[in-house]
Amino acid sequence: MRRDLVIKALSNPLALVGFVIILGILVVATLAPYIAPYDPNAIDVKAILLEPSALHYMGTDGLGRDVFSRMLYGARISLLVGIVAVGIATAIGVVLGALAGYYRGWIDVVIMRMVDVMLSIPTFFLILAVIAFLTPSIWNIMIVIGLTSWMGVTRLVRAEFLSLREREFVMASQTLGAKDRRLIFKHLLPNSLTPIIVSSVLGVASAVLIESGLSFLGLGVQAPQASWGNILTDGKEYIQFAWWLSLFPGLAILITVLGYNLLGEGLRDALDPRSANKNK
Amino acid sequence: MTTINNHPIVPMRLLIGAFILSGLAGCGAPEHTTTVDYDGDYPVEQGGSLVEATRGEPSGLIPMIAGESAASAVAANIFNSLLKYDKNLELEGELAKSWQVSPDQKTITFTLKPGLKWADGQPLTSADALFTWQLVTDDNTRTPYGADYKLVTKAEAPDPLTFRVTYPQPYAPALDSWAGLQILPEHLLKGQDINTTAFRRNPVGSHYYQLKEWRNGERITLTRNPNATQGQANIDQLVTRFIPDEASQFLELMANNIDSMALNPIQYARIFPARPDLNSKIGLYKELGNSYTYLGFNLKHKPFDDIRVRQAINYAIDKQELIDGVLLGLGEPVASPYKPGTRWTNPKLKPYPYDTAKAIDLLKAAGYEDHDGDGIVDKNGKPLSFEILTNQNKQREMSAVLIQRRLKEIGIDVTIRVLEWASFVGRYIKTGDFDVVLLGWSLSLDPDQFSIWHSSQQAPGQFNFIGYHNPRVDSLLERGRLELDPDKRMVIYHEFAEILLEDSPIVYLFAGYGLPAIHKRVKGIDNPAPPAGIGHNTYEWYIPRALRRNEISTQ
Repeated sequence: MRRDLVIKALSNPLALVGFVIILGILVVATLAPYIAPYDPNAIDVKAILLEPSALHYMGTDGLGRDVFSRMLYGARISLLVGIVAVGIATAIGVVLGALAGYYRGWIDVVIMRMVDVMLSIPTFFLILAVIAFLTPSIWNIMIVIGLTSWMGVTRLVRAEFLSLREREFVMASQTLGAKDRRLIFKHLLPNSLTPIIVSSVLGVASAVLIESGLSFLGLGVQAPQASWGNILTDGKEYIQFAWWLSLFPGLAILITVLGYNLLGEGLRDALDPRSANKNK
Repeated sequence: MTTINNHPIVPMRLLIGAFILSGLAGCGAPEHTTTVDYDGDYPVEQGGSLVEATRGEPSGLIPMIAGESAASAVAANIFNSLLKYDKNLELEGELAKSWQVSPDQKTITFTLKPGLKWADGQPLTSADALFTWQLVTDDNTRTPYGADYKLVTKAEAPDPLTFRVTYPQPYAPALDSWAGLQILPEHLLKGQDINTTAFRRNPVGSHYYQLKEWRNGERITLTRNPNATQGQANIDQLVTRFIPDEASQFLELMANNIDSMALNPIQYARIFPARPDLNSKIGLYKELGNSYTYLGFNLKHKPFDDIRVRQAINYAIDKQELIDGVLLGLGEPVASPYKPGTRWTNPKLKPYPYDTAKAIDLLKAAGYEDHDGDGIVDKNGKPLSFEILTNQNKQREMSAVLIQRRLKEIGIDVTIRVLEWASFVGRYIKTGDFDVVLLGWSLSLDPDQFSIWHSSQQAPGQFNFIGYHNPRVDSLLERGRLELDPDKRMVIYHEFAEILLEDSPIVYLFAGYGLPAIHKRVKGIDNPAPPAGIGHNTYEWYIPRALRRNEISTQ
């Protein structure tokens, strides 16, 4: 991404807000061991379900664990799952999309039918079904989310390739004898980067949501490891009087997803001349 | 309402009182001010209806076929057995006036009360008892409860009031089994396929209540049976509503829409004390269920075949911490596989104390030490680590996390896996594909635990799935079944419990209290609960006119 584009993107106030949120979470997650006042898994049966106080900023859970510390470590999980899962999805999506868009013909048909098949199954249920066969663990979750959410990127990249291939500069390069590899990596891919970045950032938001959802259902990150989703599940049991167990993880998920969405949409507005014109 | 668990031994999905609240009620739901005095003295009177909640809808109301707890709870109000347990858990006649055991202890003769009738007015005779026995032992009947009754070699009904069963040898759990078999009407079921008959949705029984209405997915309404064999109950109608979500049940209880439910420790010990408005209208009760929670080892897998490893784990688990942390103190420690405080519990036995030094010594003796300095003990280069499997039950999940931490302290690496019940049983228990499980046993009142501990009971689907095998225990269990003298039986089962504790094939964790909450409009409840639980005299419960809900008043 070029520097002027970054500046342009961040001059969009919404994108800036999103960027600051994501940056904040990144800092918190990185520094979790230094900020956290307690060991996130330290149980204290004498301090079960304490209200937020100076001792426990976000109270304690059903086993007397410090919620604030668990939230900090949960941020790591959220971030990790989001980025790795989207990394996998993007890698698959770019490769398949590039193949389909560049070579067209039967390769395109095969790949796009695969995309259609995958899209015809609701993603979350597909993930639930796959996870049910595997041991639930953070690594499996990241891989499964990645393997089930590459279809959007594939379509996007294919569409970009299809249109870019017909452009003059590509034809010129082709006429000069450039090979497939050079065309793809030097011309087509760099020019498709914008939509890929935008969709990745938006993809992180949905990966974070899916991870929280799976953990909430008990199929995600396993005890005693903390994740926002499983703190929220614990909170469900006590919601009538231990509001802090539901409020804080709920807010954290909300803000994170909002952050990625704001950043993603801000980037799109800034980087895509068509939508920028439309908005202004 | 608690009913005597008449099933031989069922592994329970949820322990009594394990219900967990979830839901979306705000704190301090608006409560209309009421001038009704729930604590006043009211004379006994008939009428009114009691509304209960259950999590699942019964699949049918023939308990030997349906099997699930929701079905047996409703059916217990519709059908009678020959015998029953009184409030002190002593056997007494229900349909039977009396029973005699022959001198050789192989034959039991039941004499029925005269003039018994079904709800439809037809006479209830020993032919019905014989018919029911034939049904439950018929191989075409899809019931898990046939084993006890298949031991009977001869059953006969020589006259309408006499029913006689003969065993090939004395069988001590026999009477308990006859307290568990609900008698079905021959005149309505003869010639029908018991597995599919319409009777399951439209039962006719002989107990206090009969079915009035069954609205699918909503409720079952029972109304008083005018021909009841045990006299007339005070309350006119029993309504059972199907509310799968426990949080919704709790909201309904607070909103006066249901009269009773089972609370969890948090609701009992944390929410209620903070809500005087709830305390003024809802009565809380505490009763020890006939069940316990345990950590079970797969004795066919290494290293759990080594008694020192099992004992080390037992010493390393702090049971009091579990009771305090998971049950908020609402539980009892367990050292025998019986309900604490009953005669079958060996009073000399104490749980393994929490002693990490001893645990580490035992591991060392078994060859486990931290040779590579990674904090996990190992033997021949293999670290000691295993997975605890449990089902989706909040108390069990929390227990697993506490145990995980304690075992880490002695250098054992534990992971936890929480599974949905059906796949847990089907995929792991029945195949024996597990290392350690965290589960509960819900027991019958008879001390016979042949099916759980005898080495012959290890086939897929049988209850000795941990693979316990001890010749001495086998012979004690065999003798216990043949011994009809309660005092001699007690000696046998005390020794059995002692060996079991020493062998440590499972770690007893705790026995939790059942915590029923019942609206104070319901009067006549025994408090504190007798050994049989508060549900033993529901027919004596009554709802004073002034306290009834939704009823047209004539004043």
